[in-house]
Amino acid sequence: MINRAIAPELQTIKHIDFLKPKIFDISPNVHLYWNADVPNDTSRVDLYFDAGTILGTIGVASFVNGLLLSGTKTHTSIEINESIDALGGFFESGVSNENAVISVYALKENMMPVLRIIRDAIHGASFPEHEVDELLNDRKQKFLVNMEKVSFLAQRAFQQRLFSESIYGRVSDLKDFDSISRSEIVAFHDEYYLNGLSKMVVVGDLGQDAVDHIIDLFGDWSHAHQPTFEKNIHNLRGTAHIVKDDAVQSAIRVGRMLFNKTHPDYLDFNILNTILGDYFGSRLMSNIREDKGYTYGIGTMMAELHASGYFLIATEVGKDVREATLAEIQKEIDILQNELVPEDELELVKNYLLGQLLKSADGPYSMTDLYLSVEPYNMDMDFYNKAIESINNITAERIQELAKKYLNWDDMTIVSAG
Amino acid sequence: MIKFERFTLPNGLTVLFHKDVTTPLAVVNTLYDVGARDESEEKTGFAHLFEHLMFGGSVNIPDFDAPLQLSGGESNAFTSNDITNYYNVLPAVNIDTALWLESDRMLSLAFTPKSLEVQRNVVIEEFKQRYLNQPYGDVWLELRPLAFHTHPYKWCTIGKEISHIEEATMEDVKAFFGVHYHPANAILCIAGNFELEEIRDKVSKWFGDIPEKLKPARILTAEPEQTEFREKILERNVPTDAFYYAFKMAERRSDGYYIADVLSDCLGRDKSSRLYIALKKEQKLVSEIGAYISGDLDNGLLIISGKLNPGVTFDMLDNALWEALDELKKSPMKESELNRLMIKIRTAREFQEQGLLNRAMNLCYFELLGDVNGINEEHLIYQAIQPEHLQETAIHLFRKENCSLLKVKSLSND
Repeated sequence: MINRAIAPELQTIKHIDFLKPKIFDISPNVHLYWNADVPNDTSRVDLYFDAGTILGTIGVASFVNGLLLSGTKTHTSIEINESIDALGGFFESGVSNENAVISVYALKENMMPVLRIIRDAIHGASFPEHEVDELLNDRKQKFLVNMEKVSFLAQRAFQQRLFSESIYGRVSDLKDFDSISRSEIVAFHDEYYLNGLSKMVVVGDLGQDAVDHIIDLFGDWSHAHQPTFEKNIHNLRGTAHIVKDDAVQSAIRVGRMLFNKTHPDYLDFNILNTILGDYFGSRLMSNIREDKGYTYGIGTMMAELHASGYFLIATEVGKDVREATLAEIQKEIDILQNELVPEDELELVKNYLLGQLLKSADGPYSMTDLYLSVEPYNMDMDFYNKAIESINNITAERIQELAKKYLNWDDMTIVSAG
Repeated sequence: MIKFERFTLPNGLTVLFHKDVTTPLAVVNTLYDVGARDESEEKTGFAHLFEHLMFGGSVNIPDFDAPLQLSGGESNAFTSNDITNYYNVLPAVNIDTALWLESDRMLSLAFTPKSLEVQRNVVIEEFKQRYLNQPYGDVWLELRPLAFHTHPYKWCTIGKEISHIEEATMEDVKAFFGVHYHPANAILCIAGNFELEEIRDKVSKWFGDIPEKLKPARILTAEPEQTEFREKILERNVPTDAFYYAFKMAERRSDGYYIADVLSDCLGRDKSSRLYIALKKEQKLVSEIGAYISGDLDNGLLIISGKLNPGVTFDMLDNALWEALDELKKSPMKESELNRLMIKIRTAREFQEQGLLNRAMNLCYFELLGDVNGINEEHLIYQAIQPEHLQETAIHLFRKENCSLLKVKSLSND
């Protein structure tokens, strides 16, 4: 008989091979990154543009992003989508504060023809009036639906207060949708897409010829210089509540401006972040979900911008326990500031983080994404070896020190909705 | 081609092994052949609540998650109307930890009152977060009982109402475990860089001494053939009118299932689909529209849903929608369109099979369907679909008396 009360012996992960993609220079500040090590027929190509929401009139960045395949002088949006679908291609486009990303997924045999269609569609985009009107209408409807969600209301108010005076704090209102002009759309597209390409990524066993061809297809969109990004953004401290009468839950957002991967405290703080709220066994999950049953989920995260970053706690809880939840969050932070993390908990989190790092390096797509998350900061895969070091060397004293330094309740922006 | 080995333990546990030499990770996936369709109508939401309790400690191990996290792994689970699936992803060197934990909770749970009390609250908050506190969130709570009158698909996995979750007792929990959680009712898949013999030894070691029980017989009330058009209107505080057309379709194990899947792609998967082009781009009736299948094991639903543009009435939409459906019934699909749908299905599958966890889950699911190798043959069923099959199935599916329509009317539009 086996003794089930005794856990099997564990091995600790000591080393992970982090493989960097091949780098091709398109211009002094635009590069293509290629990971060919894909053992099957799938492939992905990403194009990054300086076309984030901090640029232009409010809303225009997101609009242009939604209209990239909306038609040219010779092809309608329907024809463009049909021809991509006929090759089994998947086109995704998204926009964040600082950039816009297009991702194309296809079997490798179809990738090049799909990319040619996309190149022609974006290059020749003529922004037909009916397409602009249609997107305007769709976006307004989506906005109205979102405004019914407490999570959206809280996130929106949080963003305003976190980024306060900065351009990052802009949020759309319904009226903004009507104020975007066609000429602004055309100008934004020309400046930030056709002259705004900042990097390209290829994952897949496509061959050198294909990669050369991708550079030919898109290289002329390269931007002339790196954009600059705002530093020293300060969050508005204190509490705000958005009333939504018919809500049965309240959404809560607590956070502050912090730093990104370039900061010397980043890696160690990430361990503190995990202990507090970034895994299923975290302090916040254990208390607010698994002990009190106030929520389906609560989590913390570190978000990064080019020249800064922020820390965030997010949850949705029963309306009647909103204040109680905020008090418990504050209590958990107090404990981290005043008591050392017990050794067994620290060991668990260290092993967990090493396991997660192993997982995030598993397979060519994940490995490429790891590289893409350090590349903007001019860092290399060595960052992850440093992460392993940080995990191995962390102490309970260091965690407490960081909690005291960065998690003071008075420094937080606190928002709730519902 | 996804390779696998299959063996069974004397106590009835079915084990699948999928070897992947490229990964340092291991997946341990356990599918239990129990879902919300196995609940009684007075105690709905139980299979899902039970899934939460499976993380509340087992007979010899007080906490499930902590030892797994200590081994560098993580775990989660989901419940559907048909199945409950648990998965662990961890460094392959520590696979024994996952087998130890997973086997101990198959042996028996800790059944602590605190766990039940807390998870009842957690699930109630989940109910609120997903179904009550979202615009259009209660649609499935309403659509299911409209489309199904006798089959247990008439309630949602989360449960019919919050009171059912509030009233769950420890006796219910123990009884449910006794009937559904044992080797003969489970399928285990292990994926990673191992040898078959190694896996055989490990699984026998950890799972071999769990007592054998009989697989419970499943007797479900069949849903009688629908013979009348059904419609329900909800008035809600939402910004725009929304519609949900639900057509009864074939069960998972039949060819008709795959044909309906292709029909739903044709109607509303991509921006080149028929409804997207006709109703959104050309006639400008909707701001969004899509079509998909519910993916149920028993006879399920093909759903067409979307939101109306301002000034458009439900009748205008209804006319245009039926016109598009009639077109599918009248003329066989052109080859170019069928080819387009097929390449999308093939491409999506290749990307899905990339993930180790997906492969392990799918292997278990195909074993449940009756033939694990079906995972490698499914594409042949799709490839064999001809325009006349689609036309035939469209004629059978897209009839008013096979349709349940749920309208969500915006109160602010009055």
